[in-house]
Amino acid sequence: MPIVELQQVRKAYDTKVAVENLSFKIEPGSMFGLLGPNGSGKTSSIRMMIGITVPDSGSVSLFGEPFNRKNLHRVGYLPEERGLYKKMKVIDQLIFLGQLHGLNATTASKRAHIWCERMEITEAIPKKTEELSKGMQQKIQFIAALLHEPELIIMDEPFSGLDPVNATLLMDTLVDLRKQGRSVLFSTHRMDQVEKLCDTICLIHNGRLVLSGGMREIKSRYPNNRVIMNFEGDASFLNHPSIESAKNYNGMAEIKLHDGDNGQALLAEAVTKAHISRFEVMEPTLEEIFIETVTTESKETVAGDKVDA
Amino acid sequence: MPETKSMHNVWLIAKREYLERVRTKAFLLSTILIPLLMGGGIVGSIVAGGRAKSTSHITVISQDQQLATDLQAELQNGKDSRMTVDVISPGNSETRQTLDAMLSDKQLDGYLWITPAATPNARPTFAYTPRSTADIATKGAITSALRAVLMRERLSHQGMVSTDVDSLMQPVKVDTTQAGKNADTTSSFVAIYVLFFLMYMVILLYGMNVARSIIEEKTSRVFEVLLATIRPEEMMAGKMIGVGSVGLTQVAVWLATAILLTSSTLISSMAGGGIHVSLSAMQIIFFVVYFLLGYLLYSSVAAALGAMVNSEQELQQLNMFLVMPLAGCMFALAPVISNPSGPIARVISLIPFCTPLIMYLRISLAMPPVWEIALSVVLMLITICAILWVASRIYRVGILMYGKKPSLPEILRWLKYS
Repeated sequence: MPIVELQQVRKAYDTKVAVENLSFKIEPGSMFGLLGPNGSGKTSSIRMMIGITVPDSGSVSLFGEPFNRKNLHRVGYLPEERGLYKKMKVIDQLIFLGQLHGLNATTASKRAHIWCERMEITEAIPKKTEELSKGMQQKIQFIAALLHEPELIIMDEPFSGLDPVNATLLMDTLVDLRKQGRSVLFSTHRMDQVEKLCDTICLIHNGRLVLSGGMREIKSRYPNNRVIMNFEGDASFLNHPSIESAKNYNGMAEIKLHDGDNGQALLAEAVTKAHISRFEVMEPTLEEIFIETVTTESKETVAGDKVDA
Repeated sequence: MPETKSMHNVWLIAKREYLERVRTKAFLLSTILIPLLMGGGIVGSIVAGGRAKSTSHITVISQDQQLATDLQAELQNGKDSRMTVDVISPGNSETRQTLDAMLSDKQLDGYLWITPAATPNARPTFAYTPRSTADIATKGAITSALRAVLMRERLSHQGMVSTDVDSLMQPVKVDTTQAGKNADTTSSFVAIYVLFFLMYMVILLYGMNVARSIIEEKTSRVFEVLLATIRPEEMMAGKMIGVGSVGLTQVAVWLATAILLTSSTLISSMAGGGIHVSLSAMQIIFFVVYFLLGYLLYSSVAAALGAMVNSEQELQQLNMFLVMPLAGCMFALAPVISNPSGPIARVISLIPFCTPLIMYLRISLAMPPVWEIALSVVLMLITICAILWVASRIYRVGILMYGKKPSLPEILRWLKYS
């Protein structure tokens, strides 16, 4: 039984279509990444999952039943933009939000303190939100989404505006939560994060699904034709016939090989010209897949438009 | 139990809103400062009232010794003044120079030169030379003292005994409590004006706060977290009750202070000449009920306005929609008063926006049938819920399209969305 299931969902605002014919499933206990460039419909899709908006057509199911507001207390939601009362004290704020999710004040307060300790922001507890840095506010918002121990955690761009230390802290927390059997969905356009964290991804572009499935499975669809190498010396081997395209970042090269080539000939040539400290043949990164898919998609759309015209 | 859950959410929102606002310094300041100013004003005016009795030192120059001493007595011990008066009788050409010198030395506040009339029955002429022309109080005291003295003198001349003159010149007292049947209309009139101004003031001051807090919610983007757990209707109702109660608290504090102040200082001094407003317990209950319902109704309109706009500037432009229906009620007062049970009065009193004022007026003039009162209350409650429903619709769609001001057809279309 999938925890979230979208079927043929469509949502339009006036004339702009935000989401078109979108279907995907989130399995219980998985980490799900919703990817897409800015304005691709990530936030619109999320809003329909938590009942802020209703799809024009298609259906949304949560916890195996058609969408029902009474299940919302089992969901924790972190919005894309900070939504906290500026003048309110952090602890009061957390208790208030906890109470809205059905906790009593004592439990909410106890859990808020535990979480603040875990997120290393105990000094923020008696302060007003407006006195805190953006990163701290983000952590408060993060805690607010988790206080009521939701089974499904939905986070819209959770790592935006965080420094690497804090981003890692949040990621580790999400990984822990998944280990406890919670399901996590988060949206982002930062591919490196997704690559590390997600079991399943769904890539949307212009409101449509362009790619979805398990992380391993998606990657295995692409050939091992990428090479990363670090070198010192003559870079002329980058003109080797087995290379389709190459970028040289001052001693670090990202190379795409012709289909079917395993890179051994290139390595042999390179060793004769330069000192090689790293040579790695790998599948394309998610970022490359993302860019490739999105650009072909755009080209197809443009071509399609021309045919229509 | 979705009903209790829903009420619980409304309560939580209202509680937060109330506590956060009541704890602000601005609230404390305005709650304390305004009664202080009010009290200060009253105390000040009483002190000033005491001081207003002129204590100037003047000189009267007159050939008529009797007139001069009468005037002296009136100015020194009269009703309105406690002056020091010297009499020079008669004056000569040097007197004026001496007096002018005393004026510039600030030994004297002014002098009054009385020139006797040429003919026996005409009034003498009076010339007052003050040190400062701004000293209106002294001049006023002299004028009224002169009038009293002259009148007394003339009456004595006509052969009246001085005791008769005294009793004739007693101030007149009018006791409005004995006015009989008319008292009811007077008091209900006063009550209706108090209700009108109280509602007008409170709606203007606090109704807009409801709208503002909804706009604030939009800009802070907290609504997104809230809407992920609660319904916009619950949020609207909570905001309205929470922000509304803040206004009521403040008004209650002010009213209580006012009553306390007036009862201790003013009532005693005004007991003779004050207007007596006697309201029955029933009228007071209806006053409170209709005031609260009216406040809720107009606050829900404010909530709808807040839902429609994105900034405070835009809100200002819609401000008038809030008070216009209320002001319109004032025009309906006349036909209702002339015939409180007539068809016009009955219809107007059932229009929810007019009910608080008009139905209350009817109740105080001639008790309408119970079912009409019940119907008016039910209609108001339904209207409040309907407006909140519409407002939450507009809100839900409006927030998702922030940045753009909706046109009327768009708003109508939004009502169909959810």
